[in-house]
Parts: sequence; structure tokens; C-alpha cells
Amino acid sequence: MRSKRLVFNIVYNLCVFAIGIAMIYPLLWMLASSFKESNTIFNTASSLIPKQATLENYINGWKGFGKVSFTTFFRNSLFISVTATFGTVMASSLVAYGFARFQFKGKKLLFTAMLLSMMLPAQVLMIPQYLWYQKLGWVGSYLPLIVPYFFAIQGFFVYLMSNFISGIPYELDEAAKIDGCSYFSLYRYIIFPLIKPALVTACIFSFIWRWDDFLSSLLYVSKTAMYPVSLALKLFCDPGAASDYGAMFAMATLSVLPVLVIFLIFQKHLVEGISTSGLKG
Amino acid sequence: MSARRANPHFRAELKKEGKKMNQIRRFANQKHTAGYVFTLPFIIGFFMFMVVPMGMSLYYSFCDYDILSPPVFSGLDNFRHMLTDDTFFQTLKVTFFFAFVSVPLKLLFALLVALLLLKNTRLSGFYRAAYYLPSIIGGSVAVSVLWKRMFSSDGVINSLLQMVGINCTVSWLGNTETAIWVLILLVVWQFGSSMLIFLSALKQVPASLYEAAKVDGAGPIYRFFKITLPLLTPTIFFNLVMQMISGFLAFTQCYIITEGRPLNSTLLYTVYMYQQSFEFYNTGYGAALAWVMLAIIGLITLVLFATKKFWVYEGGF
Amino acid sequence: MMKRTTALLVAAAMTTASLTGCGGNAGNGGDESTNPEVKSSGGSSSDEMVFAWWGNQTRNERTQQVIDLYMEENPGVSIDGQPSQFADYWNKLATAAAGNALPDVIQMDYKYLDQYVENGLLLDLTPYVDNGILDVSDCNQDVIDSGKVDGQFYAVCIGISSPALVYSKTVAEQAGVEIKNNMNIEEFLDTCRKIYETTGYKTNIAYTDNEPFMEYLLRAKDVTLFEDGKMGGEAADYVEYFELYETGLKEEWLIDPAVFVERTKTTELNPLVYGTSPENMSWCTFHLTNQYSVLVGSAAEGNELGMLTWPSDNVKKSNYLKPSQFLAVSKDAKNPEEAVKFVNWFNNSVECNNILLAERGIPVSKSVSEAVSEKLPEPDQEAIAFVNEIVSPNSSKVNPPADAGASGVIDLLNQLEEQVCYGQITAQEAGTRLFEEGNQMMAK
Repeated sequence: MRSKRLVFNIVYNLCVFAIGIAMIYPLLWMLASSFKESNTIFNTASSLIPKQATLENYINGWKGFGKVSFTTFFRNSLFISVTATFGTVMASSLVAYGFARFQFKGKKLLFTAMLLSMMLPAQVLMIPQYLWYQKLGWVGSYLPLIVPYFFAIQGFFVYLMSNFISGIPYELDEAAKIDGCSYFSLYRYIIFPLIKPALVTACIFSFIWRWDDFLSSLLYVSKTAMYPVSLALKLFCDPGAASDYGAMFAMATLSVLPVLVIFLIFQKHLVEGISTSGLKG
Repeated sequence: MSARRANPHFRAELKKEGKKMNQIRRFANQKHTAGYVFTLPFIIGFFMFMVVPMGMSLYYSFCDYDILSPPVFSGLDNFRHMLTDDTFFQTLKVTFFFAFVSVPLKLLFALLVALLLLKNTRLSGFYRAAYYLPSIIGGSVAVSVLWKRMFSSDGVINSLLQMVGINCTVSWLGNTETAIWVLILLVVWQFGSSMLIFLSALKQVPASLYEAAKVDGAGPIYRFFKITLPLLTPTIFFNLVMQMISGFLAFTQCYIITEGRPLNSTLLYTVYMYQQSFEFYNTGYGAALAWVMLAIIGLITLVLFATKKFWVYEGGF
Repeated sequence: MMKRTTALLVAAAMTTASLTGCGGNAGNGGDESTNPEVKSSGGSSSDEMVFAWWGNQTRNERTQQVIDLYMEENPGVSIDGQPSQFADYWNKLATAAAGNALPDVIQMDYKYLDQYVENGLLLDLTPYVDNGILDVSDCNQDVIDSGKVDGQFYAVCIGISSPALVYSKTVAEQAGVEIKNNMNIEEFLDTCRKIYETTGYKTNIAYTDNEPFMEYLLRAKDVTLFEDGKMGGEAADYVEYFELYETGLKEEWLIDPAVFVERTKTTELNPLVYGTSPENMSWCTFHLTNQYSVLVGSAAEGNELGMLTWPSDNVKKSNYLKPSQFLAVSKDAKNPEEAVKFVNWFNNSVECNNILLAERGIPVSKSVSEAVSEKLPEPDQEAIAFVNEIVSPNSSKVNPPADAGASGVIDLLNQLEEQVCYGQITAQEAGTRLFEEGNQMMAK
């Protein structure tokens, strides 16, 4: 019995490990390229080991453009991603609670509106959104990149969380209500802790999406000193001229790190789902 | 009931609750008004940030608009033009194929991997990170360069095939038959977000259910089909709807890798729309294309919702 | 109790409350806390001038240095440099134009000039030439005229280049073909055949970068590709271009079009300098002189490159000096005179161009170009000599800037060219369709 288990364990780990390597091949490739001399990247594209490892790309890349180094770009990205993520997760969980637990007039309509807003290709809203934010006087600042998220405009998260809340036994609410608990306390002390896996998932997604987003910062942020990393990365390459691919890969590798760290920190909390948080009784 | 025990704040909370309510509070705490109070951020946000731009873009779809000069109302011209636009029909064909093939594949893969990673081992953190990585680096230039290199006629994929004895020199991206599959593969490879959602839903299944079934002598396969899968159906449904929407709105894969080539065999709808709006300056036509897409996705979502009652288990647990 | 109540009400509104704080921070936080240098370098943003361009890291670096130098020499003037990547640049510029928020000084491309002028977005520079703020006396008149639309002067050319057939000397020697300037089409085809037969190297005509070469061929027949609201010439004129591909396809010396889907569009991966076998490489590429040094830099060791004129049956008519980029001033510029002064300095200052080093093409002002040329690396000097000695004496005036409908036609040209190369349609069909459908697009 035990040896069977051991064999199973080995086979399991081997399989998962092998697929895992295939999954991270691109990152390995990017990492390897970032240590190659910039002009040899394409000629040695199939090899993962640089003939002559060099740190030059990192040094060149970090200098950034003009007077602005990647220290600034990373700080900008962090600021935008963290605030927007905080806003979107908080607001979405509130709204999701409203959708999942209450019946009210116009709910269906509102829910449909939320779904519809996800179905329109984002690219087509770029111009009208720009004109509207310009009317509000927000162009050139981070406001368009942050404020909307405090209003739960990402239907995806609202829907995700309301799905989770629906899965929580309703008896809990009722018991608390009989005990005289207000709806907000109910949300705050019962629902919120119980949807932790969903909150964590939303945090990870939102952070990554904000971190990778360059289209909105392209339109709304004009000063180089305010560029996020995603936008700054694009300045390394231009189709018509010599591009510093080495520096680009170096900075792209670094730009994945914060996201990876966020993921590693948060994914631990995914593990403790409802099954271990005391709902068993 | 144990939730109360689990949460020390809860009792302190109850004490405070004992006192009498004032009027505003009573209002906000009525069952039908509370719904509005909680969804208020979205209501405000939707009107502030979505309704206005959406209205403007709807208006543009009835206009001749080139961004640089003000829009001129042109009635149904843009929509009429679609009927004679071969590329429009071509992109529809490509997009439907793309969405209907990639989404089921992606979900299946995501579910399998989520089940595989459910097991808690010392390495599970690493595994999850590894499987999620492709979704992190998403649409960067690096991915575009890499995928082109991997699938070129002298690329890694063909070398691997040659190693196992298949003499393959196909240019995967240069061939009208295979190019779309490279994009589909890219989408399936980025299954991380669906996987995470499955994982967190799987975590929500009470362990007691499994224990009870085990006591009754049910095997793992039986347990999966009788407990896990039914309880997972709401999540599968959610993932299906979301991935369908994003499948039809897929943009990056095509934009950074093929730009529709060869012979428009990989031209996704949104990329065509983007080209019309920003490259050919037919912004009005681009807006019209977007609203047609909204109608199509809306219809598909509607159909999905209509099937919900046949297979989605809504009972909670 | 009261606290709880408030909390409930605030439940929904909390987002509103917190965002004001956060939002406020966001607006200022970006430039204040994160970058003291920028803050200290300029006064309030209202009298700050914005200069936007597209480019790569080298250009961004040099341009920023030039801006710093200018601000040093002109205390009180503050310029914010805003680089973007090419495709993003036009997206951003168009959106800004829709919102009447264009940068003060705009790097302009010949292709877009007409559209921006037609929509009244650019400032007419004629008065500044008249009152001497903008000095263009030292420049080639034809080149300066290329910045004019309907007789008014809107954009100052800041770099000249010309078409160049960059080729591998190594491969040509190997094949034993005689290569010369001013080849006609038949000679060019013969070269392609010979090279393929002896070395296996294929030929890339102008795949995906097609429109300049098409225009070049038409010029030999006195046809202007994009006339006002229509295509020039007649359908038959457009067939020749596609026939080149058809011939190459039939005789197998044309490079497989799949190569271009597999490779990122970047100079480093041009089939002239990159490939694993002669099968997926080309002995030449249709380029412009200002990209010559990049190509030379990307070529593998032992692959020596050279430069020729593009082939044509009448090179004198076909060839032209191409304005590679312009600077224009926005109609909404807060201080047009300051903006024009900067443009003038950019064009005429030797000091400035010693930093830029002809990265945008050969400086238009003769004295500047002479002063700078010694400082340039070898390939750039070669390019200058090529433009001045080979192209300049044997060329005609550049075509007027294209109409707004042109971008759609260029896309159509791409599609038709692809279909010819994949053997889906004949050159005859492609030429006819380009002319007819192109005419419809231009008429709109």
C-alpha cells in the first residue's frame, strides 16, 4: 500500500513538473535572452544558455529614457496597480453582495447592463472615453486609471464574487439577521471572510491586468516621468529602427517579478478555502 | 452557526446591535432598499464611466467619423457597408471558429490542471506559479517574438517533431490552415485565470461531503461525478460565459503575432475593428462593427443563460 | 451605535469618499513625489511646451539631450519630451487631435501630413519664414516644398533619405553577377534569377513595405499613385508591380511569404541579414538610406552590404529625395512663436545636430549636414554620399502627400500582394482590383 502510494507520488510529481517546465519555457527563454548580448539574441534564439552571459542589458535598460529611470516606472506601476486593485476588490465585493443577496426592482436590468458593458470591445470605447475624461479634466493624470475602479465597473469581478456569495448557505445570513445584525455587519463579518478565495483571485487578476495595461496609460498619461513599466517597455522597440531587444527583455523579465511575487504571496490564501474555515460544523 | 464562534468580532458586534435604530438606518436596512445601497457604487460608476462613452460610440456608429474631423451623421451607411464587406464576413468566420474551439479546450485544460493541483504538496505553490506564469506575461513583445520563433519552419516545434521521427518543415504561421491553431494554442496555454477560479471554487466544496461519501464507500471517480462536478457547475458556467465573451473579444493574440496574416485567415474581429478605427481612420465604421459584436455576444450569452437551468446546480451545499 | 449607522450608509459611499483622497494623490503624486528632476526643471505646466515624437531608445535618448541643451540655452523655456512607439504614436496623436489637445511640436510623417492639414490641425508656418524666425534658406527647395500643402507651409523636413536597394555584396560576388546602379526592371529580374540559380538565395521584392516601390514604378510612367480623391493612371499601370511577384513565384526565386508572418517586423530580422539558409534569406531589400546603418549593424559577420538605386525603367523619373520626417507646430500651441523657434533651432543648429547625428535622416540644412557628416559612422557617411552623388543628380520631385483615403488603399495593396504571392489571384486581377476598389476608397 505504501509503495503504491510512493509510486503514485513520483509519477504525479514527474507529470506535473514536466508540464510545468513546458509552461515556463517562455519565461526561461526571456530570462536567457536578457543575458545575451543584444545583437546575438535572434541568432541564438533556439538556445537557452547564453554563450557569454552579460549584465549589460540590465544596466542599459534600467537607465530608462532621458532622465527617467526604471525606478520611476516601477514606482508608477506599483502605485497605479495597488490603488486600482484595492478599489476594485472592495467595491466589487460590496456590489456583489448586493446582487447576490437582495431582490430589488431593476436588479435584472442592472445585472444585464453589467454583462453588456463587458461585451463591447474595449478598443472602441477608447476615443469616447478619452473625450469624456478630458471634459472632466482628468487627462494627463492618473485619475482615469484609478477612479473608475472604485466604482466596481469591472463586471467580471462583481459577477465572480456574486457567484461565490451565492454558494454560501443562506442559513448563515438568516441566523445572523435574527440575532439583530445589520446587513453591513453581515457583509463585513460573515460574507467578506467567507469569500476570501474569490477576493484573493480578484486581487491577483486585477493586479496583473493593471500592471500589464498600457493602452489606457498611453492615452491618459503624457509625461514620461509618469509612464508605467508596461508603456516604458514599448519604447525600446521601433519597427523602423534599431531596437534594443536585450534591454527590452531584461526589463520585461524584471517587470514580471512583482507580479510573480504578488501571486506567490496571495496564492497561499487560496489554499484555505471554506473547507477549513469552520463551516464544517 | 459555527461561523459566529469562528469570528470573535461577531459577539462584540451583536452587543452593539442591541440598541434601537434610527430612521435612516432603518431605511437602509430594509430588504428592498439595502440592495440599492450596496449596488450604489456600480450604479454611479456605470452612469459616470460607461453610459456616456457607450452612448457616444453608439452615436458614432451612425456617423461618418475619421477622428480628426467632427462626426457627420450618415444614418445606416456603416451598417449597410458591412453587407458588402467581404473582410467583415471573413473575420466573423475566423472569430467564431476561434472562440468555439479555444474556449472549450481552455476550460477543459484549466479544470484538469486545477484538479491536479488541488493536492497539497510541498511543491504546490511552485506548481501553481509555474502554471499561472503564461497568463502573467500575456501579451508582451517577448511572447510575440518567442511564439513566432517557436512555430517558424525552422523553429523549436519542428525540431522537436524531427526528434521523434516526424519530418516536418511546415511553416505553422505561414500556412492558412495551421496559423489559426497557433493562436488557439496560445489562448489555451494562458488558461491560468480559469484555473485559479476553478481552484478557488474547488476549495469551497465542504470536505465533510467527501468524507461522508468515503464512509459510504464511494470511489474517487464516483465522488468526482456525483459531488465535485455538480457543485462546480456554477463555476463552470461562470467561466464559460466569461471565456466566451473574452474569446469573441480576443485581440492581443492576433494583434501581436499575425495581424491577420496569412490571407486574413487569422484576422480576428476586434483587430479588424481596431484597424478600421485607428489605421484607416474609419472610426464610425469601427464603432458600428463594435456594436454588431455586442449584439452577437449578447445573443450567445442569452442562449447560454437559457441553458443554465438544464445543467447548472444552484442548490448551494 | 451611531458609528455603525454611519458605517452602513458609508458602505456604498465609502468608495466615493476614499477615492477623492486617492485620486488627488494620484494626479499630483505622479510627477511630484516620483520625479523631482522633472518638477524642478520646469515651471507650471501651463507654459510648458510639449514635443512629441516616435522612435526607439537611441532617438529618445538623443532627442532628450537636445531638449535639455535647448532649455539650458534658453532659460525660461520649458519643454516636455514625449516619445512613443510608432503605431502607438499615431493612435495617441489622433485621439489627442479629437480632443483638441495636440502636443505643441509634433513629429510628422509625410503619409499623415495631408490629413492633419486638411482638418486644420497644424499651424501655417509661412509668416514665420517671412519674418525670419524660421530660416530655411540653406535647404534644398524641393525638400522644403514637400512640407507644403496647397501652397501653404506646414511642416519642416528634418531629415532626408532616399530609396535604397540594400544588397549583400558577399552573395553577389559568390554568384558572380555584375551589380550596378540604375538597373532597369529586366536587369533586376535577371540578377534575381542568376543569384537564385548559383547560390540559392531568394529575392524579397517589397513585401509588406510595398507602397513606396509601387509608387516608384508608377512614377516612371508619369503616373501619380494617389491623386486628389482618386488613383492615378489606369488599371493596366498597376499590373506591372504584381507581375514581378508572379514571375518570381513562377521561377521560384521569390522568397516564401510565410517568412514574413514568422518574423517580427524589425530590421534585425530582415531576410537580408537574418535566416538559417539561403532558402529563407534574400540577397536584397527595398529600404531607405536612413536604415542602412542599422542593417549593416545587424548583418552577420562576413555578410558585406552595399547600396543601389531601386530598379526602374526610368530611374530619373522614379527616384526622389524622400523627406523622412517633419516637425510641425500644432494650431493650438500655447506659444506658437516659441515652438517655431525650437523647430528652427532643431533644423539649423550644428550643436543640436551633433547630438542627433542624422539619426532621423540627413539634416536638411546644407551647412549642418556638412558639419555633421564627418562625425558619423562609416555606413552613415556612405548613405550621405549615396544620396548626394547618386540619387540627387538623377531624380525628380517627390509626390505630393497622399489623401486621407490612402491608408485603406495601402491595406488593400497588402492584401492583393499577399493573394498573388499565395497564388490565389493573377497579377492582372490584382492590378485591376487595386485600381478599381482603390478609386472607390479614395472617392469617399
